Amino acid sequence: MNRKLGLILTVLVALVVTGCKSKPAPVVDDVPTTTSTGTGIDSRDALGAFGLSNYSIADLERLGINGDPLNYTTLYFQYNSSSMDEKSTVIATRHAQHLGEQGGARVNLEGHADERGTRDYNLALGERRAQRVSEVMNSVSSASTIQTISYGEERPADAAHNESAWSVNRRVEIKY
Amino acid sequence: MITNFLSLPTQASLMRTTVLKNLSLLLFCFSLFISPLQAQEKLKGLIDGGEVRGKPIAIVPFKVTDGSVIEHQIHEIVAFDLNASGKFESIPTKDFLSQPSRDEEVRYKDWRFINAEILVIGEVLTLGPDSYELQFRMYNVVRQEQIGSGKRISGLTMRNLRTAAHVISDNVYQAFTGRQGAFQSRMAYVERKEVEYQRFRYQLMVSDWDGYGAVEVAASWKPILSPSWSPDATELAFVSYASRGPIIKTVNFNSGQEKVIADFKGVNSAPAWSPDGTKIAYSTSRHGSPDIYVYDVLTKQHRRISTHYGIDTEPSWSPRGESFLFTSSRSGKPQIYSYSMSDGTVSRMTFEGDESANASYDLDGRQIVMVHEGGQIVVMNEETSQITPLTLAKFDESPSFSPNGDMVLYKTEQQYEPALMVASSDGRVRTRLELVRGDVREPAWSPLRQ
Repeated sequence: MNRKLGLILTVLVALVVTGCKSKPAPVVDDVPTTTSTGTGIDSRDALGAFGLSNYSIADLERLGINGDPLNYTTLYFQYNSSSMDEKSTVIATRHAQHLGEQGGARVNLEGHADERGTRDYNLALGERRAQRVSEVMNSVSSASTIQTISYGEERPADAAHNESAWSVNRRVEIKY
Repeated sequence: MITNFLSLPTQASLMRTTVLKNLSLLLFCFSLFISPLQAQEKLKGLIDGGEVRGKPIAIVPFKVTDGSVIEHQIHEIVAFDLNASGKFESIPTKDFLSQPSRDEEVRYKDWRFINAEILVIGEVLTLGPDSYELQFRMYNVVRQEQIGSGKRISGLTMRNLRTAAHVISDNVYQAFTGRQGAFQSRMAYVERKEVEYQRFRYQLMVSDWDGYGAVEVAASWKPILSPSWSPDATELAFVSYASRGPIIKTVNFNSGQEKVIADFKGVNSAPAWSPDGTKIAYSTSRHGSPDIYVYDVLTKQHRRISTHYGIDTEPSWSPRGESFLFTSSRSGKPQIYSYSMSDGTVSRMTFEGDESANASYDLDGRQIVMVHEGGQIVVMNEETSQITPLTLAKFDESPSFSPNGDMVLYKTEQQYEPALMVASSDGRVRTRLELVRGDVREPAWSPLRQ
């Protein structure tokens, strides 16, 4: 019970810390809005999906997370920023919580940047992002040994030179 | 016998070392053998201010005395050098009315007719198998006079015949601009090769300034970044990856020996050798946030310089080493700051635009070249802060001045292909270094050998 409260708090704190920077508009195509009133969906799942106390399935879908956040291992960032949006915070929190329940693991966080800006600056930026994720995960559970490594702009997920490539290249990959 | 085998270096490193030794040996040798054809000769500087285009120069194809065809076209190498500087414009050979190679064959009216202001002629003397001598003369066509007397470069092989051509370029440059040429300098760059699908080999390469004769000086299966020359041009500091992350190493060209300089927890990057060679400034996040540290080469001590929570990286020394420029995100977005080694004060240098990064000084500290708005190369006047754009592209990076400050080497993309480019520091001329192909990045112009 206490742990759950703690989890809620950390998620809230993390959200406050990351600030309310302009987030990409959440995708909400045709998501049923009736889940909380229990039309066939277990009310325990409705609030507290996958152990995330204050998130329902619908809340997660609103963030673009379909199913268990554990299935997501890449967190995305805005240009020249290491702030985590709500979606990334939820995913990182779920991973940390899951690993905590398992008694911890060795986690590698790989930080990356898009090609804009200089290579050395991007090395630093990639590390900032990985460190930020590490802080959030550590605040949820300290059971895991988390290591960060930055590849800067050296290992893009998409090698193209356009906004859509850059948006997937500004990322932290959670590996364990 | 057995001990000999044990101490034998690997084939690859042996070859590398040998190649490098030969390279530095050759470079050293021919510069010794430059001598005037006649007893005393003195080069006069002719500095014309305010020209808007390069001086028209005619460089006549060098006659090979035994009539053989040699691999390196001396006049083309000299023309490429001088054109790239922006201070000269070579006239196409097809316009020439005559092709003299000796003083007595020069008719000034032939050159006035095609509006040449400068004439360069010369000969390649074949002395034996792979043994050559080069002779050349320079003329001021406007004044109808020879600049100094003829010069001879002896003790040449086919390989350094090319480098001897750069010596001619330096002589012409000095004679007609009053400034030291930089055409005997070299560059370092990183080449990435896809050996098999998505498996990359990174090579740290060193070549002539124009990209010719590249040799590998270090290699890794993980990224290599940020090469920085030692002031005597015998070593490079660079970023390489250990299993934990980016670390800083140096490699000595003569011995092939690599040393680890900084391998702290976190990111270690952006090494910069001080002008006197005693220090290497770099960025490390060993204490959480990336800060500038200075490594003392003699005592091997690391000293923390900046302590800001923002990203501090890309240090680059002033010509006399009393301060360094660096990139910091302390105001939110990356801008250039200067740190004074004497009193520890930090001053912001750039205010124009959203972002400035990766700055470095020219040789007298009057100009600063940097990456503006994430991908445009600009030169800023240190005193007036006035900015001259060298490129208009969005993805240009890694600028470095030539050792005389008259040109800037950088990386760009042409039709989605990486390319190394040289721009004149006034932004008028941009030249692609066609000799360097492939997935290349991180060029760094060497200092001149002392």
